[in-house]
Amino acid sequence: MLGMDVLTGALIYSNLLVLLAVGLTLAYITTAVPNFAQGSFAVVGSYTALTVYRLFHLHPYVSLPLAFFAGGLVGLASYMLVLKPLIKRGANIVTLMIATLALDLILLGLRGIYAGYLGKITGSPCEMFMFTYLDFQILGLPAILVVSTLVIVITFSVLFTLLYKTKFGVALRASMENPDLAEIMGVNVEYTRMFAWFLSGALAAMAGCLLPFKQEIVPSTAEIIIVSIFAASIVGGLNNIYGALIGGYIVGLSESLVTYWLSTVIGAGVLVYGKVIALTMIIVTLLVAPQGIISIEWRKIKKIKRWCS
Amino acid sequence: MIYGLILNILLWFGFYLIISLSLNMEYGYGGIPNFGKALSVLVGAIVAGGVVTRILIYIYHIKIGIGGFSTATSAVSNEVTTLIAHNPLLGLALFLLTLILAIIIGCIAGAIFILPSARLKEDYLAITLLAIAETFTMICYYNQSIIGGYYGVSVPDFLAFIHTNRGVVFTGIVLLIALITFIFFERLMNTPYGRLLRAMRENEDVIRVYGRDLMKVRVMTMAVGSGIAAIVGVLLSYYTLRVQANSFMITGRTLWTFYPFLIILLGGASNNKGTAVGTIIFVTVMEVIDFYKTNIVSFLHLPVEAVWLEYILFGIMMLLILYYKPEGILPEKPIITPAIKKAYETKKVSKKGVREEY
Repeated sequence: MLGMDVLTGALIYSNLLVLLAVGLTLAYITTAVPNFAQGSFAVVGSYTALTVYRLFHLHPYVSLPLAFFAGGLVGLASYMLVLKPLIKRGANIVTLMIATLALDLILLGLRGIYAGYLGKITGSPCEMFMFTYLDFQILGLPAILVVSTLVIVITFSVLFTLLYKTKFGVALRASMENPDLAEIMGVNVEYTRMFAWFLSGALAAMAGCLLPFKQEIVPSTAEIIIVSIFAASIVGGLNNIYGALIGGYIVGLSESLVTYWLSTVIGAGVLVYGKVIALTMIIVTLLVAPQGIISIEWRKIKKIKRWCS
Repeated sequence: MIYGLILNILLWFGFYLIISLSLNMEYGYGGIPNFGKALSVLVGAIVAGGVVTRILIYIYHIKIGIGGFSTATSAVSNEVTTLIAHNPLLGLALFLLTLILAIIIGCIAGAIFILPSARLKEDYLAITLLAIAETFTMICYYNQSIIGGYYGVSVPDFLAFIHTNRGVVFTGIVLLIALITFIFFERLMNTPYGRLLRAMRENEDVIRVYGRDLMKVRVMTMAVGSGIAAIVGVLLSYYTLRVQANSFMITGRTLWTFYPFLIILLGGASNNKGTAVGTIIFVTVMEVIDFYKTNIVSFLHLPVEAVWLEYILFGIMMLLILYYKPEGILPEKPIITPAIKKAYETKKVSKKGVREEY
């Protein structure tokens, strides 16, 4: 039987994965570079929440807005200091990818130093931590489920309003669709990229702020979670924000539920292999529909099916 | 003290030269962004710690008791090490067997790993290779029946017959293998295959026009590159006499994917001599940091480990190279085929001209 806590756990994880995947996809659409440092952006949020909790004893949910801005600034700085100069020099995509790998390593190093420093100030180690003991119940549901769902709803309604109801949104979508044409029409593509990277870092940091309620933050958290983020984005097509939304839920739910189902069949030992499901989904997507789930024309498939029978 | 530092620099120069040369073939010449390079080192370590130890357990009838595979390897390693102490030939045979097995299994593994993404664009290729490497490392970490997971396994000391200066002899062996690898890649990259790789990097359509299958070339390149890189995994295991998935889980991607990329971009991609120059510079910096790490930390008055500073330093170094000197210290040279050589001699083409045409 599928327990209630398994399902809520899967939903919480999927919500966080959606936030991370949408950020990755936004950066990919505007700058055409897959950001290998997205996992580290999330860790920025985790440490923001930890700092606020340890120093001011404020609940991590309260520091969500702060995490949003901290992550946003890191994302913006990453673009302005690392990627923009390289793009200006006409660097190719592999160079940009290597640059994000370097960025990831720098952030990993900064995390280590910061964790050591924070540990010394507060007098308790900060290398690994969790917030699960801080969580409470809202209407019989774990608060983290309610909060993460609220964050998703707010994020997407704001994003939707911004993209489809404002002039800035029109310019933004234009420069995503066709940067050259948008530039000719007087849109400053640079602004849209800066905006996308700010949002990318901010959404990732919000996910990172909530992640310790679900799993322990360890030094290799960023490396572990990056596979799932890419899986969610690729299943969604890597260049569509709504694809990332769908991909995030598909990968998040199947990573949790398929491993749970397998554990009832094979044994509890498979529970640690959730990432294998994510990897399988990347490979299957690339083999069957490289443009992602958004690109599949369901009507055509139905027609072919009918035609076959 | 200084003597130990120099020995360490030479040893790690050997390790990093082998892996960087193989990455240079894949990325520098072939344009395959292999972000899963660490995986081939892990494969080599698995062959030494998971495959060869199993063969030895079978040969010497060691019982796998309550302690499981991990404990059984300690028993078999002790037994084989004592045997090797009296019989150097056994040690040599063990070493060569492991090397050959690692190369074969590394080749097969490399070919399989690129199959799902061999037809795709560079960004998808890089993501998939990285995802496969990370996932596979995680499986090795959690599944203790492969290489003992967190606890790790022991491997026998194939140099047990040498009682003094084991480190010096081991470094000599590593440098010898690195030299052979260097000559191998220098030769290989001057064959039509090497030129085909460069053509693939520059323009994939061109090699299709000439009737070559892009997928086949990529699969073959990854097979050769991974086979050679697996040697590093074997050497590393026999140097430390331990194989631990734990160490790959935390630092694998940095040590065996990022640093090799840093080396070939520093020295100059698609130039084997440049790779050698890049390796010596990088390894010297790394080892000097490692040597003086306690001094550095106490100098900075920070409650941190030097490894974090090292990550930041090498990350920034990579960004500076990408921005200021993307062609590296020794830039790529035009290919000297007999026809071009003739053109040089008759001075029909200036050196610069050939390069621009190419």
